[in-house]
Amino acid sequence: MVGYVGGDPYQSPSFGKSLSLRVDGGVNALSINPSGRDVVLASKQGLHIIDLDDPFSPPRWLRHVTPWQVADVQWSPHPAKPYWVVSTSNQKAIIWNLAKASSDAIEHVLHKHFRAITDINFSPQHPDILATCSIDTYVHAWDIRSPQRPFYTTSGWRSGASQVKWSFNDQNVLASAHGNDVCIWDLRKGSTPLGKLVGHGSSVNSVDFNRFKRTELMTGSNDGSVKFWDYSKSCNEPIKTVRTDFPIWRGRYLPFGEGCCLMPSVGGYNSVYVASLAKKEGTEGVNDSKLQPIYAFKGHNDRVTDFVWRSRNRCDSEGCDREFQLVTWSKDCDLRLWPVPEAVYDRVNFNRHQELGESIPSYEYVTYNREPDIAKHQTGSHSKRIRENFVSTSGLKSKKDVNHISWLSGVRMNYDSSPENIFKERTLQNLGEEVSSLGHKFPKVVFEKISVSTGELIITLNGPCSQNDPDQYIFLRIDVKVPPEYPSKGYPPVFSIEDNGNLSNNRRESLNQQLREICTKCTDLGLYCLEPCLRLFLGEKVNLEELGQNDEPLLNFEIANQLAMEDLSSLPSSEDHTEYLSDSSTSESEEKGNSSVLNLGVNLDGQINRDLTFDSTPVPTECGAIWSPNGTLLCFFASEGKQDRKQQAMLRLASRDTIKHQNGYYKGGIHKSKMLTDNTTPDLTKVQRPKRYVETIPSATNSLGKSTHLTSEEESESEYSDSFEDDWSDILVNDIGVRTKLPALRGRVSKTFESVNSESGKTTESKKVKNMVITKDFSHLIPDRKDLALEFRFTDAPQGELARHNALVAEKYGLEEKSHCWQIFSDLLMTNEEIDPYNLIWDNHPMGIKWFIKEVLSYFERKNDLQMLAMLGAVAANTAASVLATTNTVKLDPNQDNKKMKSTINFNPNENPNSWRTDLPSYLSLNNGVAPSFFESSKYRYSPDEISIKSEDYFSPKHYNNTSTIAPTVSPPISNTAVSATIAHNQHTVSRIPNVTIELVDDDVLSAIRQPVRSLLDQNDAAKFRFYSYQYAKLLYTWGLPMQRAELLKISFESTHKGTLDTDSRISSDNRDIFGEMETNWEENRQREANFHSCNYCGLKVTRNIFLCQGCEHVMHASCARDWWAQSEQCASGCGCLCPEVLRTLQV
Amino acid sequence: MPTIANAHNDLIHDAVLDYYGRRLATCSSDKTIKIFEVEGEAHKLVETLSGHEGPVWRIAWAHPKFGTILASCSYDGKVLIWKEENGKWDQIAVHAVHSASVNSVQWAPHEYGALLLAASSDGKVSVVEFKENGTTSPIVIDAHAIGVNAASWAPATVQGDSNSQQLRRFVTGGADNLVKVWKFNNDSQMYVLENTLEGHSDWVRDVAWSPSILLRSYIATVSQDHTCIIWSQENNEGSWKKTPLQAERFPDVLWRASWSLSGNILALSGGDNKVTLWKEDLEGKWEPAGEVQQ
Repeated sequence: MVGYVGGDPYQSPSFGKSLSLRVDGGVNALSINPSGRDVVLASKQGLHIIDLDDPFSPPRWLRHVTPWQVADVQWSPHPAKPYWVVSTSNQKAIIWNLAKASSDAIEHVLHKHFRAITDINFSPQHPDILATCSIDTYVHAWDIRSPQRPFYTTSGWRSGASQVKWSFNDQNVLASAHGNDVCIWDLRKGSTPLGKLVGHGSSVNSVDFNRFKRTELMTGSNDGSVKFWDYSKSCNEPIKTVRTDFPIWRGRYLPFGEGCCLMPSVGGYNSVYVASLAKKEGTEGVNDSKLQPIYAFKGHNDRVTDFVWRSRNRCDSEGCDREFQLVTWSKDCDLRLWPVPEAVYDRVNFNRHQELGESIPSYEYVTYNREPDIAKHQTGSHSKRIRENFVSTSGLKSKKDVNHISWLSGVRMNYDSSPENIFKERTLQNLGEEVSSLGHKFPKVVFEKISVSTGELIITLNGPCSQNDPDQYIFLRIDVKVPPEYPSKGYPPVFSIEDNGNLSNNRRESLNQQLREICTKCTDLGLYCLEPCLRLFLGEKVNLEELGQNDEPLLNFEIANQLAMEDLSSLPSSEDHTEYLSDSSTSESEEKGNSSVLNLGVNLDGQINRDLTFDSTPVPTECGAIWSPNGTLLCFFASEGKQDRKQQAMLRLASRDTIKHQNGYYKGGIHKSKMLTDNTTPDLTKVQRPKRYVETIPSATNSLGKSTHLTSEEESESEYSDSFEDDWSDILVNDIGVRTKLPALRGRVSKTFESVNSESGKTTESKKVKNMVITKDFSHLIPDRKDLALEFRFTDAPQGELARHNALVAEKYGLEEKSHCWQIFSDLLMTNEEIDPYNLIWDNHPMGIKWFIKEVLSYFERKNDLQMLAMLGAVAANTAASVLATTNTVKLDPNQDNKKMKSTINFNPNENPNSWRTDLPSYLSLNNGVAPSFFESSKYRYSPDEISIKSEDYFSPKHYNNTSTIAPTVSPPISNTAVSATIAHNQHTVSRIPNVTIELVDDDVLSAIRQPVRSLLDQNDAAKFRFYSYQYAKLLYTWGLPMQRAELLKISFESTHKGTLDTDSRISSDNRDIFGEMETNWEENRQREANFHSCNYCGLKVTRNIFLCQGCEHVMHASCARDWWAQSEQCASGCGCLCPEVLRTLQV
Repeated sequence: MPTIANAHNDLIHDAVLDYYGRRLATCSSDKTIKIFEVEGEAHKLVETLSGHEGPVWRIAWAHPKFGTILASCSYDGKVLIWKEENGKWDQIAVHAVHSASVNSVQWAPHEYGALLLAASSDGKVSVVEFKENGTTSPIVIDAHAIGVNAASWAPATVQGDSNSQQLRRFVTGGADNLVKVWKFNNDSQMYVLENTLEGHSDWVRDVAWSPSILLRSYIATVSQDHTCIIWSQENNEGSWKKTPLQAERFPDVLWRASWSLSGNILALSGGDNKVTLWKEDLEGKWEPAGEVQQ
């Protein structure tokens, strides 16, 4: 049992075993700690350190998120630097120090290559020296004591380097692969190659020096051959060539004996092959041969990307022992450990117990899987830390990097060390798997702590353990200690329930008693017992008698053991079984005895039923209706035929209770259903429909059984069983990745479908319609219309005209209501635009425009008429258009202004600030953004006043009696009505009115902006309209009207802008300076930049051919820009920038 | 209007038109997905996608700004992502975090990015983001004990404006007869339970969050108990008001609910092979607006 996590490789629980670890996340490279304890996996997310001795603990994750796949990762092979790992990050090589905290683990960055690094190799002699090669054709050798630049550089010039390796014996020699050739370099001889090995017909993927023979090396190539060279003899003639059927990705000498290990880059059954290089009799002189593997490590279901050897050795008084284990990483996301059979050692002439001439360096057997205790190693210079923070997005998530339960479920360990059946059997092998299966099975049970290696679990759950009220759930925390020998006899796990006020002592005692019984009983039989214990806590009855027979198969819910299938099917459905099963399955098992023909099928059913126990997939939809974005309704229906069949199935299900007790099952079934179909309709409503998908499967097959003869059924059954078995073995061979209960279903599912097909083959001769997809146009139900969208206008004209135009459009389409609405709106706007000093009095009047807008808003909201809402909002809010109109036509005369002021008093003071705010955007777009801060702050200053005068009657004569003059710059709190009466007609001296608006109108700054435009919307409405126009913009987009959409968004953008300003000013104090405002603006712009990856016109992503405005930095596709600028002067984003203008000035 | 008969060898479980209404995708128990090009009355089968190992339950088109991308979910527990490029369809990603049938998939409002919501019978929902660098970071939430039958995103509440807080929510319906509303918590980067809505007496089969935000948010839930409930919430906060769609029960179980894009019309379908349309009148009552039968 996995009980040990210590410091000795000979106590490793995983050595000599086969092990599979699922690691998701696109890992591409693998390396192993020389001590053999840890492996490092490198992916775009960073490094994962996995402790092979404790595979159940989740990996340590050193985050380094890059967009580039990691080409290579290497663990330093030197005992001096056991904590060093080098990985590639495109053109850089990163040296990690695992002894440091994960957030600060980058020790050096080697940056000299200018294109992606392909390979890294540590010098076997010097811990500080390593070589890198890159597709920029260069090979650099680095001394990490001075990591700024390489101390040796050479290049293959013509083609990128794919591999670089140091010679094991000659510290100055290294080899690198460039295209089809391999160059041997000597550090002392500069960049003149010592030799160039020419002979491969395609690019060389792998180079490896011989450990023992100084000048020999092997190369593997895409041409499917492996060549062995002795560069001291000849650089053109390999001493030996081995040909294979597949391109070679990696070919390396074995670390033991005389042999090599080959790995295909494609094909080759995703295996790793071992071939012997030992001289055989009679083969001298033959230097070109086919690959004759002596062993293949087969089992991955995608290509293997790398392999390493894990070794351990011992030399003491009792003799010597060296042992190896292969570690492979494959694209199927499995890390696997393969034991090496003794026969392999023999065939490569390796004697495990032979004493070695040289001593092997001793490595400290420690893991770097844990985060080091020294939390902060501040040794690295500050600049390095910054760089690291820059490249990795550290701090995104805090702790929960890997879900422990799902990690556990990816761990498979096999104690049977014969590799033939590794990864095939799927019974519970250890505590880790048990916990993982429990975690999946009881999602409500929380595993607070899982430490498989030490056998400690802390479980929390809510159980009905109250003595008085069985429905009351009590929160329990349970500490479980599992002895390492578990589940063998005499080693039951020990449960201790944490003290809890809600749990009475009696109850606790009885729970403990029961737990002990269960545990003892199970472990005596060598069974895993956590599940029944958990069930006990969750309030289920655990029958001790049945534990022995049932529990293991129950636990083993994932994929059944193939061999055990017979046993399982003969398993009578026990009591706690049937709790979960539908009665269909019970009847199934009762049917079993009836017909020998059906036996096989029932076996299968029995098999699946167990799996399906927890399957809550609902009955599939057979008919549905889905709205499409353009207002059509898409419906799909099941056919009549299907309907009938389904009903039959339903009936059968309903009548099952009665059938169950009859001996002649088929007869009874047919009889019953016939009887029922005769008078179906009234009965139908009472029939309980099947709820779960799995309930419909058996009924489908059974109805098939009814419709066909028994003989044909026999045939078909056997067919199914074949296909099922095929599937099954497929699953076992290929589908190890899917470790759920699903694969088991696959056979079953395919079977049903086959049966359905075969049935349809019989019935469809009548060309019956089986299913149907219908599109129905229900656009008349939807008030939003594309044709209206095309014709409605909301910019480029005075508001009144726009409304009139829209009224005419609506009329044209016969939409009376809308037409009238626009008409009234238009009339109101028209009068509004006339320079009538008193018209504004009407704004809040029941007949006034504001009232009208509110009414219209609520009406169309109830009508759900998005289009009208958005269009009305757009016209009403489109002050920009009216500004244009008014500034052109209206000259400000003091008199008029004055009157306007007068009228503003009539506003409800509460509304005044709002109306001001809504006005702001228009200023913003006209000004440089400094002015608004003034407005805002000054307005803010006066807000108390507004409240204080809320209830005043402005028409009372005393307003006009008390005239006091207050300078605009002074702002004392005004709380009496006297001040509100300052509405003198003397415009330059009077500015103290209770009302903000007036103060501002007379402000010097304001006067620079000419006439303020009153908004027709109050703030809440404006916010609503903003939503509506945004929604409507989406609709326009689906209708393919990007032009209208952009026009509309232009308006709404302004109001958004206002929204942000608004909150800003509210938060800030009134004496905020201009720079504060400037700063927020600037930040906002920066955020915008980040957002503008997409075209502001069509909303799609921009790639090339873009138009970028230098002024506002908004982008568009070049083609979109052409369309847009043909029609508008302003930026399509609605920022108010006149981009062509900017362009022109820039060009000048 | 085009009618496509016998597109699949087996029951069809979903049919969805893409954003522009030009492409139709259907999926079926025959484990395949078919893509049709629709042009007026005419339709043309352009592709059959196979890759699932079980019946395909639901499909969903991503917003076109991400490309022509389709997500599909199946009984095999997987969500596959398909992409068309230059007329060629490829499976570009697999999202396999669920251990049981995945019953629904839906893409988030495009403002949030390429975010996919999947609901599974293993009791969990997962939100997976397909990031630009090709990585995914699924968030898996235990939602409904027995199984989650459907999940639906709330519409985006604000514009793609990064400095305002988005209220990112979705609703799930499960085999525990409950409907749950989940909210994204920016601090913990997790989805937290906001509301649990009780009202159904049997499995909730589908949930649909109205895509429009007019007066209030609407969620329609349909259930095995032959009822449909409309839940509404004012101003995205406060409690949810429960309104049964109609007083009497439907003649059969209800399977599917779908809102029109502007949230006006609700389409319901169920075991009686019939589609009914519903709209809210000015008083806030729901009235039938149409019916479709085969």
